[in-house]
Amino acid sequence: MRGSRYILLISLIVSWQVFSSLDILPKQKIPSPVDVAFGVMDLMIIGLPPGYKLGHHIYASLNRVFWGFSFAVLIGIPLGISMGRSRRIKEMLDPVIEVLRPIPPLAWIPISILWFGIGIKSAAFIIFLGAFFPIVLSSIAGVIAIDVVLIEASRSLGAGKRQVTSKVLIPGAMPSIFTGLRIGLGIGWMTLVAAEFTGVKTGYGLGYMIMTARDIQRPDEIVAGMFIIGIIGYLMDRVLRLVEASVLRWR
Amino acid sequence: MNIYFRNVMVLRRHCLTYFMTVMAVFISLNILSCSSKKDDEIRVRIGYLQTDLHQLAVFVALEKGLFLKEDVNIEIGGIFKAGPEEMSAFAAGSLDVGYVGEAPATTAVANGITDVKVLAQVNKEGSALLVGKNSPIKSIEDLRGKTIAIPGFSTVQDFLVRKALVRHGMGFNEVKIIVIKPPEMMWALESGDIDAFIAWEPHVAKTITKGIGRILLTSHDIWEHHPCCVLVADNGFLEEHPEVIRKIVQVHIKATDFINAYPDEAVKIGIRYTGMDENAVRQAMKNIEFDYLPSREGEMEYVDFLNSLGYIKIVDPKAFTDTFIDSSFLKEIVNE
Repeated sequence: MRGSRYILLISLIVSWQVFSSLDILPKQKIPSPVDVAFGVMDLMIIGLPPGYKLGHHIYASLNRVFWGFSFAVLIGIPLGISMGRSRRIKEMLDPVIEVLRPIPPLAWIPISILWFGIGIKSAAFIIFLGAFFPIVLSSIAGVIAIDVVLIEASRSLGAGKRQVTSKVLIPGAMPSIFTGLRIGLGIGWMTLVAAEFTGVKTGYGLGYMIMTARDIQRPDEIVAGMFIIGIIGYLMDRVLRLVEASVLRWR
Repeated sequence: MNIYFRNVMVLRRHCLTYFMTVMAVFISLNILSCSSKKDDEIRVRIGYLQTDLHQLAVFVALEKGLFLKEDVNIEIGGIFKAGPEEMSAFAAGSLDVGYVGEAPATTAVANGITDVKVLAQVNKEGSALLVGKNSPIKSIEDLRGKTIAIPGFSTVQDFLVRKALVRHGMGFNEVKIIVIKPPEMMWALESGDIDAFIAWEPHVAKTITKGIGRILLTSHDIWEHHPCCVLVADNGFLEEHPEVIRKIVQVHIKATDFINAYPDEAVKIGIRYTGMDENAVRQAMKNIEFDYLPSREGEMEYVDFLNSLGYIKIVDPKAFTDTFIDSSFLKEIVNE
């Protein structure tokens, strides 16, 4: 029964189309699946605004996510591991992180535009903020959850500080870190799309594209854009899971 | 263990009580705020654009209590950053009347998102294309390869900038047109993120008085006496309450006459509603024509050009315009 998981999804889409065709659903508010499919084609061939094609919008958004997420990983994981390892560092940094963490990344947009303008730097900064905290917290949690016996055992077998970190702490915290990466990437992706609503310098980006569709009042292309954002978010998570599976093969 | 368990139960009960209290407070607040409204009168929800001096008439009407004098129970339904947002609010059924740009209103109706009618003009002209104060750009042709910011696609300003490009024989792909909300445009120009922007007043005057930019072209240069903002009403509301709509048109005419008769007092109201300084507002007023007579030719030009941009598909612009503009109330009042 491999196909059974898709039965609900497909029947939902089919009934959506049927209700649209029967004019039960107002087409100008809820475009039908066929309209959305044509919307996706328009986005690919004509572009929105005309000439700004879908592929380039996707590339621009992924590029922003790449930079923001990379910085979050490069800073977040080491910070989280050192906070998990040393009580002193954790006590020092905890108040800072706990105050900054509840500020929604989107609340940073006005100040981020002031600091970095409307180019890639400000978008990457917003994504960084979205991805950073889940990564730090899960890294801390990952290290803390490691059985103390393991650390003591490796020490008594003659492992130095560096060896304990690289052979015990990091591998041990990896499953939790990966959970953090997936949450972080998910939040970063959501944040990006919203961040692009405020304007982007290149004129490309999926969030920006949806706003353009709204400006020229095309619900079919709005929904088409949402659909694409969903698919890409899903694919990114799949990729991360594959990476996780290959990194954590030893499990 | 037993004590622990009992404590948990007490804690739970406390939480529940607390939660219920909070809920009760919120619900009663909601009921109170609802019941304070008079329900014998018809509520009219109005929308307008944030810091748009074109729409000074609505600021004057609100400030001078003109709606009250006509016994119109007006309520602010929403203040928007650009026209397309306001049209989405009409589509959602959140507004009954609104001050909005003619281009976004046309696009929304042409694409079947919502059904509004133009009751009267609000202003003509009043936008300008700006470049940095010390920018080497001297003409439209110099904008090749440069970045121009507009308040939104299918806004009056988007329309004007493309018209200027076409008139100078330039293709849209020779420049980069991006969307930034007007309050942020001045800073983006200063930081060099963009090379030019087109916006409504008083953002133009403010950028100039701040010493950040200068005018490359005014909208007067691009399209003389072009219609800009309009007063629109939701068609369903209009059919249900024509007498209320008539009063609103009446208020709009009075407010527009007031601006033209007492510009100094109008400036003061403009300052209060846009939050800009007197110098900028005074300067901005000079570039705007406050006029309530709509132009059919102007609307047809909008439809034609929006068609050519691919934003809308209207086969018969004349028929569209005839149903889109409903100046019957205006004529009745003016002829009295």
